[in-house]
Amino acid sequence: MSMCNSSWSQMVFYEKAHEGSRRGADTSAFLQSPQKMTATLRPYLNAVRATLQAALCLENFSSQVVERHNKPEVEVRSSKELLLQPVVISRNDKEKVLIEGSINSVRVSIAVKQADEIEKILCHKFMRFMMMRAENFFILRRKPVEGYDISFLITNFHTEQMYKHKLRNSSKIFEDLSLESFCSRLGRRCGSHGK
Amino acid sequence: MSKNTVSDRFRKVDVDEYDENKFVDEEDGGENQLGPDEAEVDSLIRQYPSSSFLTLICKGNLMEALQAVLKNPPINTKNQNVKDRAEGLVLKVLSSFKASDIEKGVQSLDKNGVDLLMKYIYKGFERPSENSSAILLQWHEKALSAGGVGCIVRVLTARKTV
Repeated sequence: MSMCNSSWSQMVFYEKAHEGSRRGADTSAFLQSPQKMTATLRPYLNAVRATLQAALCLENFSSQVVERHNKPEVEVRSSKELLLQPVVISRNDKEKVLIEGSINSVRVSIAVKQADEIEKILCHKFMRFMMMRAENFFILRRKPVEGYDISFLITNFHTEQMYKHKLRNSSKIFEDLSLESFCSRLGRRCGSHGK
Repeated sequence: MSKNTVSDRFRKVDVDEYDENKFVDEEDGGENQLGPDEAEVDSLIRQYPSSSFLTLICKGNLMEALQAVLKNPPINTKNQNVKDRAEGLVLKVLSSFKASDIEKGVQSLDKNGVDLLMKYIYKGFERPSENSSAILLQWHEKALSAGGVGCIVRVLTARKTV
């Protein structure tokens, strides 16, 4: 896949609080006009958005096990009282989102629709590309959770620095990821902004 | 150097077990909870006739079926079969609602009922069959408008799931 630099810079989807809203507008436009809308897409995205909004209530919590350490509890899973119930929202048996919450962190894992072999390979490559650059994406996890294609780890430090609604939107980019919609969106981005 | 104690069994004790502040999930007696009564719910659903001129009656019965199926949630029981059966029953009732009636069904529930409904919806998402997710998504939308985000928060923070 050839990608021009400007389109990738548009797709960098962390928003610092002091940056202007122009970038935020771009990401939401990116999301809200997929070419093909099936009947379950809109309710699926709304359900995920609402659940994320509920789960993204995070506060700072130092580790109870090790002094002066601060760990994302959803990854450590050391104490049961700090963890929320994990919740799945599925659109069909292939596409689903797993949201595991805790007191100071949330892990969002997305299983993306892969209809045939070529889509599987492309999806795998695309996700690998993103996950290798996870440091620049801040909220991306380097390895997806078992059974899913990509995972995000959002901690209280991220919610303190970034807008919550933009954090929510950024994980939603992956949900309607099918080959046609992805290429059409990319084409629109490349066309409108040039190289 | 010689050891300063005769036995060192104390080194193998897990001290964290005896910490007074350690969190222990409350274990209520859940053996008597059987879940919603299958026969009652089935009979209420079966009263939904396929002919169209009895629509008023069947609408009423579906509401009652919804109330009945949300009546005895197997929250405290540890028996997985009971929970699975309850979930299957709830899914059956939710699928037999017509799309236009979902909103009325949700309105007929009280606050606890909406919370319980949300719990079952999320439970149903975990095992998607052909059309169940689409129906559950519609129910989720309506339950969300009735219960708000707080409803979802109560599902996430509940210690005992349905």
